Amino acid sequence: MTDTNDQPPYIDLKGIRKGYRIGAEMVSIFSSLDLAIAGGEFVAIMGPSGSGKSTLLNMLAGIDGPDGGQLRIGGKRLDQMGESARSAWRAHNMGIVFQFYNLLPMLTAAENVELPLLLKPLSARERRIRTEKVLDLVGLAGREKQYPTLMSGGQQQRVGIARAIVSDPGLLLCDEPTGDLDRKSADEILAMLGFLNKEMGKTIVMVTHDPQAARHASRTLHLDKGEFVEERSAA
Amino acid sequence: MASLIRQTLVMTRANLLSLPRRRAISLSMSLSIALVVMVLAGFLSMAKGFEQALKGTGSSAVAVILGGGTNQETGSDIPPDVVRSIAAKRSDLGLVRNAAGELVASREIVVPVDVRHPGDNLGQTMALRGMDLSGLSLRDGVTLSAGRPFARGSREILVGDRLAHDVPGFGVGDTVRLGAVDWTVSGHFSAGGSAFESELWADLDAVRAGFDRQGEVQTLRLRLESPASIATLRDALSDVTETPLVITSETDLYAGQSGRTSDLIRLFGWPLALLMAVGAGAGALNTMMSSVADRASEIAVVRTLGFGRMAAFASTWIEAVLLSLAGAAIGVAASWALFNGWQASTVGVNNTRMMFQLAVTGDVMTMAALLGLAIGAIGGALPAIAATRRR
Ligand SMILES: Nc1ncnc2c1ncn2[C@@H]1O[C@H](COP(=O)(O)OP(=O)(O)OP(=O)(O)O)[C@@H](O)[C@H]1O
Ligand SMILES: [Mg+2]
Repeated sequence: MTDTNDQPPYIDLKGIRKGYRIGAEMVSIFSSLDLAIAGGEFVAIMGPSGSGKSTLLNMLAGIDGPDGGQLRIGGKRLDQMGESARSAWRAHNMGIVFQFYNLLPMLTAAENVELPLLLKPLSARERRIRTEKVLDLVGLAGREKQYPTLMSGGQQQRVGIARAIVSDPGLLLCDEPTGDLDRKSADEILAMLGFLNKEMGKTIVMVTHDPQAARHASRTLHLDKGEFVEERSAA
Repeated sequence: MASLIRQTLVMTRANLLSLPRRRAISLSMSLSIALVVMVLAGFLSMAKGFEQALKGTGSSAVAVILGGGTNQETGSDIPPDVVRSIAAKRSDLGLVRNAAGELVASREIVVPVDVRHPGDNLGQTMALRGMDLSGLSLRDGVTLSAGRPFARGSREILVGDRLAHDVPGFGVGDTVRLGAVDWTVSGHFSAGGSAFESELWADLDAVRAGFDRQGEVQTLRLRLESPASIATLRDALSDVTETPLVITSETDLYAGQSGRTSDLIRLFGWPLALLMAVGAGAGALNTMMSSVADRASEIAVVRTLGFGRMAAFASTWIEAVLLSLAGAAIGVAASWALFNGWQASTVGVNNTRMMFQLAVTGDVMTMAALLGLAIGAIGGALPAIAATRRR
């Protein structure tokens, strides 16, 4: 990894403020959160329920905006972008893996994976080639026409990962990607994320409750009451 | 743009594939739209059928003279001396004369008669037309379909096919009581489904005698040399009476009367259909709102992937339009199957009953289908906007 002291970190959060209005009351989640993640890192974020992990991930994804502070990814100020600009940025620069896969049940595996490519100026042939390539990469070659509802959780999550990487983004955001899987399937998914990080250079931010999952990461951050409490680097 | 189309297409496809999850409510939307379409098509086809019957009645080569300042046969009266002075004219009237130089003319009166059949207390008012024998030769497009014409001076009636078909007791040879006397059906005639077919024709003197209308003439029918020579006739007769005579072609006489009744049918049909459309529109709104709720997670997923608001809007709206299109198609097909050719009757010419067939024509179907589509397009717009707000 290059010297991070000269180069600004790939993900750079400074003084992030975020709260939710519940009725008349304003509930603060983050009052001043800082976070720096270098390109190529695999970071696990752990913490008790309600500590703000998903909220953080949604801000990184640009799905939700911070109330204050600076949010830079790859040098771009996401917090200053409008909604549609963030949406376009997201489509080109990051893939998202969800706990419950979030596949469209009436579309086949291949059609689900193809969805992000529809936003790009690609021919149907190019889209098909790319789709088959990533399905092959996640070990689902030959299952293009299968419907997600007929797949195991592990297989569905592989489709989810294939969809997240099909447009070749540099950043993968995963919200409890193994939260709904048995140990064996979870380990396969985690190995796959490790492969994507090490062999394909993807920067990965993964929220997880599972200490074993966190072990696959190069760094684990602990979030509690809206703050990072301690850091532990993997060997 | 190309990307937007691809997004919309795939979302629409996913939408339609998820329709079975919302089978009942989607079906109810389509069917309620079909119902509105049928109601409108019913009224419009009735107005259209009525129009067609009247517009197809009569000949443009036959002039009808009415007296007393009215343009309807009821209430018209031509004094006998006027009839005689017209017949006596030797100048060019633009009219056809026979070998003896006499005008080909028919003096006619129309008497509303109540026809009552056993077991039916209501009775219907029919038009009994008394005419000279030459009146039959003045009826272009009329053919004898059964029996023979009425005989001069006898109490015989020639019955229009449509009336004979719709009203029992008018078979050839049957005896019918009209007014105070009995009449015998001598035959049936066909007039291409036009308003003539709702009439009973008989000898002028027999009708006058049976209904105490001695000497009366309501209208005079004359054969024109050509449709254009009606102008010559008008000029020639402009000073025959003090109150000017109304001289019109037979075609115009009937066509002129179709407007009021068919407008009335439409005037009644449209508000009813529109009222129902508002109800169906509310149903469509409800259906599409639940569609958006049902697909909320799917919309959220593709929006997270970077799909635009436009695609969320368009795919929802297209679903609404397609459901209403299905409803409109069902409604139009059902209307055509059920209504087209359906016998109807209404109070038509001369305040007597007129039978006609409902006509589900191309423009009736188009109009009804457009209303159906509009329900979906309007009812689906708000839910489509709601879909863009889903995250
Ligand atoms: N849209 C929202 N409106 C109001 N409050 C919200 C909203 N989203 C999250 N919260 C609140 O913010 C806090 C943090 O939520 P968040 O989902 O980020 O927690 P988390 O760490 O992901 O929890 P978990 O481990 O259960 O997923 C919670 O108290 C939650 O109730
Ligand atoms: Mg969470």
